[in-house]
Amino acid sequence: MTTPPRFEAPSLARPEPTGSADVPSTSDPVVAAGTTPSQQFTARSPRRRGGPLQRLKGLWRLWFFALVLVLWWVLSADSTSTFFPPLQNIVQRLWETWVVGEARSDLYSSLRHFAIGYTIAGVLGVAIGALLWKFQRVGHAVSPVLYFVYVIPTAALLPAIVAIMGIGSPMKITIVVLAAVWPTMLNTLDGMRGIDPIKLDTAKVLHMSPLTTVRSVVLPGAMPQIMAGLRHSLSIAVIMMVVSELIASTEGIGFFILEAQQRFAITTMWTGIIVLALVGSALTFLFIAVERVVLGWYIGARAVEQKG
Amino acid sequence: MSHAVPTPAGTPAQPGTGEGPVLSVSALRKAYNVGKPSERLAISDVSFDVAKGEFVCVVGPSGAGKTTLLRCLSGLLHPTTGEVRFEGTPLQAVPDRLSVVFQDYSRSLFPWLTVSKNVAVPLKVAGVAKEQREARISEVLHAVGLGDVGKSYPWQLSGGMQQRVAIARALAHQPDMLLMDEPFASVDAQTRFDLEDLILQVRAQFGITVVLVTHDIDEAVYLADRVVVLSSPPSVVEEIVTVPLARPRDQLVTRSSETFGQLRRHLMELVTAHH
Amino acid sequence: MNAVDTGWFRTLARLGVIAAVLAGWQLLSVAGVLDSSSFPSMTATMAELGRQLTDSDLWLAVWETVRGWGLGLLIGCSLAITIGTLLGLNRFAYLSVIPVIEFLKTVPVIAILPLAIVVWGATLEMKVFLVAFGVFWPLAIQTIYGVRAVDPVVRDTAAVLRLRGFRKFTTVTLPSAAPFIATGLRVAAAVGLILTIIAELVGGARGLGLSILTSVNAGPDRLPATYAFILLTGVTGVLVTTAFVALEQRLLHWHESQRNLAAKAA
Repeated sequence: MTTPPRFEAPSLARPEPTGSADVPSTSDPVVAAGTTPSQQFTARSPRRRGGPLQRLKGLWRLWFFALVLVLWWVLSADSTSTFFPPLQNIVQRLWETWVVGEARSDLYSSLRHFAIGYTIAGVLGVAIGALLWKFQRVGHAVSPVLYFVYVIPTAALLPAIVAIMGIGSPMKITIVVLAAVWPTMLNTLDGMRGIDPIKLDTAKVLHMSPLTTVRSVVLPGAMPQIMAGLRHSLSIAVIMMVVSELIASTEGIGFFILEAQQRFAITTMWTGIIVLALVGSALTFLFIAVERVVLGWYIGARAVEQKG
Repeated sequence: MSHAVPTPAGTPAQPGTGEGPVLSVSALRKAYNVGKPSERLAISDVSFDVAKGEFVCVVGPSGAGKTTLLRCLSGLLHPTTGEVRFEGTPLQAVPDRLSVVFQDYSRSLFPWLTVSKNVAVPLKVAGVAKEQREARISEVLHAVGLGDVGKSYPWQLSGGMQQRVAIARALAHQPDMLLMDEPFASVDAQTRFDLEDLILQVRAQFGITVVLVTHDIDEAVYLADRVVVLSSPPSVVEEIVTVPLARPRDQLVTRSSETFGQLRRHLMELVTAHH
Repeated sequence: MNAVDTGWFRTLARLGVIAAVLAGWQLLSVAGVLDSSSFPSMTATMAELGRQLTDSDLWLAVWETVRGWGLGLLIGCSLAITIGTLLGLNRFAYLSVIPVIEFLKTVPVIAILPLAIVVWGATLEMKVFLVAFGVFWPLAIQTIYGVRAVDPVVRDTAAVLRLRGFRKFTTVTLPSAAPFIATGLRVAAAVGLILTIIAELVGGARGLGLSILTSVNAGPDRLPATYAFILLTGVTGVLVTTAFVALEQRLLHWHESQRNLAAKAA
């Protein structure tokens, strides 16, 4: 290949053109950049503004979900398999351990490291992305180096970071930041590059101050993609939080799972896996709720665009 | 396979002559979201016939349900009540002997296929053998004034050329009727004139019946034998205007004739009356 | 664009930055800012990398990583594209299954790793399972939406051209879905590599991840090797990403995004 590494089109940073039945696909940067393979699939996914009755109508779609859970419950009821204990036992243990039990501190520990790391990664990502956009020549010059660091699977850095920083909160937060900063940064850069030049010219013609320009043209213009990046960063941050706990820690959900696994307490391990799954989903859905507020205007505009 | 009955230019078949009409629209009514609070009546009552070889334009104020009407005529959309008959049979799906050209050529031409392969699609559907396909492709491409662009991708061509490809693809399997939805709305003025003349020439060459929807009154008068004027929604037929202009038509001569001016003025009054 | 922005000057600037980073690394080590017991100097790392490159153990580790990644990717992606296509073609199936897949997509893949370790131990199967499982959900979703994302104008055109059945699928549906699937594959390739390394680090399966871990545990003397392995992992990542981007450019040369890139490069 004669193509140099294209920092402009990195793999993780250009998250999928996605859509969703329940989730409006606001986080679709490719759509946002106007280079989407299709603009229409979201036509059936913009937020339904129907009454509560109309919303209930869609509930039938959950039948398969319910079926899966029921099947798991029924099929595992008499399970003697070591690896797949009855779901009933798992739920019971879940209650004992995580709701009334001691394991809550592990949950708090994980969430604390995640929150700090993710916040830093988000702020840094937007800031660096904006700087790379503002100073394009510097951006071009440093792009191979940034690209290389970006491509190294962050997990590979973990042992080295443990060697440097030891075991503890700073190490975990560093890992989360190092892994999660990229999608936000690259999406910010892409989003700002994708702003219609006419809008920037308009800002100049209107004699907007740089601050006003950033606030009323640059940030809103790039926001759909910044949010997409933040969403991607979120899932990576959760994963790295767990990985750091799995490899070098004495607390957290990851440590809880690992410890249960080493004691061969499979039912307990399952509770950890389920808590982790629930935490991951809860954080994602929380993010989507925030995104809907932040990008309300964008979803509305898209819906109108698709009707016309 | 050859259905093309050449009609000499300048002698369009008159409505009512020969067999029955190619297209017959009777009491067509189309409502969206029937039964929901958002129910909206787009077309209230539209009836007209199109004779074989005729060129009919449909005009109306913006939002007059022109595109809805065309989608009903093509079989893409089912009318709420009323009927559309194509060559005597009520429409269920898109009939074999009918082609449609859309406004948005950049989306309607498949960008992943070359020009030749785009034109080949209806021929493959019709089961035309490979050798005949090649010949037919170069024939229609030449008919629309495109030479050696077969190996190019549509998006490598100019807008006007892309719409020519779309027309070639629509003509490839020798349909009896061509429906066109604002086909020249996305090209510049000069290209637009060229394409208008092209469609007149192609129509004369292949003896094809054309129904063209447009918001441009001048274009309608210039192209049509008859102009169907729709009212603002819910649409009814305001009037069907016969265009007695001689053929072949000429952008300069025809457009500057007195009759053209009168027709134009009359249609303008009809279209803007309700605003 | 002026002369400063093009051609050799840009390349020179990039090379300059790379040289500066390497020199800076060395300088910090020599000055003692970087503690050599936790962060070896650039020259020591590079020397070790050179030595390792002639060592067959290293190539064995690379092979193990690439094998686990490739097999997992192959299995996960084949399943995802097949199942995603079938689900995308049927509205009822799509509406029913999408909540499950959307939920499972939000579950951190890593949650399944301990289970895989218990079931398979530190084996290739464990690695392959994790990678396949991890790439399946996002790619399946991509495929489903891709198959359903036929542009309405394209759909109308297909109808007026009377395209039906299998011919419609190959002429219209698949090409329309291709950009979505390609994006999904590109992401899957990167995610797959990350998961492979994690499986090796946490699960102890052989490969670059395990090599990194063992060299760290071997004490400060072996640290240059750790950094050499990390650099090598980065190189693997670059190769994998470049290969997929190139493949995408080839297959989707007709798509707008690729056309824009081509225009930019010109």
